[in-house]
Amino acid sequence: MRRPAEILLVDDNPADVGLVCDALARTPYGSHLNTVSDGEEAMAYLRRASPFSEAVRPSFVMLDLNLPRRDGRGVLAELKSDAGLRTIPVVVFTTSGSLRDISRSYELGANCYLTKPGNLNDFVAAVQALEAFWVRYAALPD
Amino acid sequence: MASAAPTVSGKRKLCALLVEDNLLDAELVRHSLEHEGFEVDSDVVQTEAEFRARVTATPYDVVLADYNLPQWRGVEALDILRAEDLDIPVILVTGSLGDIAAVECIKRGVTDYVLKDHLTRLPASVSRALEETRYRQERARAENALKENQERLAGILASAMDAIVTVNEQGQIVLFNEAAELVFQCPASEAMGQPLHRFIPERFQAAHEEHVRKFTAGAATRRRMGKVETLVGLRANGAEFPMEASLSRVETQTGKLFTVILRDVTEQEALRRLRQRAEETLSKKAAELTRSNRDLEQFAYIASHDLQEPLRMVASYTQLLAERYRGKLDDNADKYIGYAVEGALRMQTLIQDLLAFSRVGRNGSEPKAVNANLAVHEALQNLRSTLDESRANVVCDNLPAVAVSRSQLVQLFQNLVGNAIKFHGAEPPQTRITAEKADTAWLFSVADNGIGIAPEHHDQIFMIFQRLHARAEYPGNGVGLAICKKIVEQHGGKIWVESDLGRGSTFRFTLPDCGSNQDGLEKT
Repeated sequence: MRRPAEILLVDDNPADVGLVCDALARTPYGSHLNTVSDGEEAMAYLRRASPFSEAVRPSFVMLDLNLPRRDGRGVLAELKSDAGLRTIPVVVFTTSGSLRDISRSYELGANCYLTKPGNLNDFVAAVQALEAFWVRYAALPD
Repeated sequence: MASAAPTVSGKRKLCALLVEDNLLDAELVRHSLEHEGFEVDSDVVQTEAEFRARVTATPYDVVLADYNLPQWRGVEALDILRAEDLDIPVILVTGSLGDIAAVECIKRGVTDYVLKDHLTRLPASVSRALEETRYRQERARAENALKENQERLAGILASAMDAIVTVNEQGQIVLFNEAAELVFQCPASEAMGQPLHRFIPERFQAAHEEHVRKFTAGAATRRRMGKVETLVGLRANGAEFPMEASLSRVETQTGKLFTVILRDVTEQEALRRLRQRAEETLSKKAAELTRSNRDLEQFAYIASHDLQEPLRMVASYTQLLAERYRGKLDDNADKYIGYAVEGALRMQTLIQDLLAFSRVGRNGSEPKAVNANLAVHEALQNLRSTLDESRANVVCDNLPAVAVSRSQLVQLFQNLVGNAIKFHGAEPPQTRITAEKADTAWLFSVADNGIGIAPEHHDQIFMIFQRLHARAEYPGNGVGLAICKKIVEQHGGKIWVESDLGRGSTFRFTLPDCGSNQDGLEKT
């Protein structure tokens, strides 16, 4: 049995964090959801800087694009150009369906781009499918 | 005319006509010439008639005539030559000639006279006569050529479209052609001798002088003036006009001459201003359009993200409420929550449709030649489940290639066929797609046997969010035909419907032919 996945969710909207949390609670994988609410915190978490010195390296990151302080594009760019972090899969998980955001994210090295579904059932299904894919099916480095 | 040219042996050829009744004298004359190096080819005549016949038949270099002949006087040969328009020198060779007669003969045009007992003078006299004749003829030729040139120049000056004005070193006008008269509205008779300044507005005179001074000092003898700035001329009536001018300088023995060739460019200038104004307006409009497009893009982004996010919160959490609290509140609460969920979800699809509509043509690639058959095929694939459910039948003629981006063409057919099926009548839906050539475009038709559309709604249906039916009857936001219209119009085409209630509908639209360019044919 694999040890439970560590998921880092970077999102400033507590309502969405609540829905993701709720969706993951109903799956059999027991993943740990860690959340931070802006780009600065995300980088601090990934680099185990204070106050995240005890942080565990995530199996994958769910990254919103529009964040306060430092936005998701900046986080994505820095993460993917950091030799120690770039192997961590990043799933962009955002409200924006803009073609510009989609292509820009992939250019910056995103591993997947998902527009948050507007319908609750679709939202829950998407989060659960995401977890199943990265935790159960995808082979990860490490 | 044969001339006294040196021969190979160094002798000069001479073709002479002798008017002489004494053959011995004729022989003496010939001898005296040959003795001095002439190679003489001569004829001898005695009568006036003979003279006339010979002289008009042979080009003689010289006529040597005796003054006293029995039938006529040799001096009369001059009259015949003049009458025949022949320029041949006549030298009288005579036994005796008094001073008075001699003067009279010279007056009448005899070149010289030589007494028979002084024949040694004859060769020199002939040589001089030949020399004089040649000189006279060359001069006449030169004068003719000059006259011809002057006539040609006068013709050019008179017919030139451009005004041509020449001034001398003192700045006085010495030439003023017809076009100049027209341009400056001043007769040449009045302009001649006037300073050029008369035709330049006062405020430009200093600049003009500087221009001419530089030109005079420079090495160039031709220059185009006013290439950058248009010059200003002054008509006799005081009106100013824009002109273009070129300047040339000629140095003659009597001094320098400056010629200005200029053109009234009032009309061109007016046109240029008009064009400039039009271009300015156009570029201003283009800038406005760019700005408005940027605003629109910004708006679209806001709609796709900033508006969607709170809406998603409402939708998700009302759904969560409905799920978790169904039956735990009262019946009304469940109903209200249901309405809230429905409203939020509909708002989401409206925003998405609006975005789809605003995106038409913005992220599209350059239109290539696209085979419409393949586009229809792809559209039908996308509609597969709908087609199967409604047992629809779609017939499609062989369609041409058109210059529209593939994804847009697919969407166009998908929306039209989708509507044809959605709005079906009692019969299973039948749809037929055809195309025919109309000038440089193709006219497509998508005909169905559905419920039809009343004529008063034929325009309305192409407007975004316009619907003719209750949502419960036929779902949809009313964006499909608006997108079709936008796609067609972006390609310079037109779309319309021919229909009546209960009689099916035929949607027609035109799309540009891709010409003979089949190279870019996209394969799906």
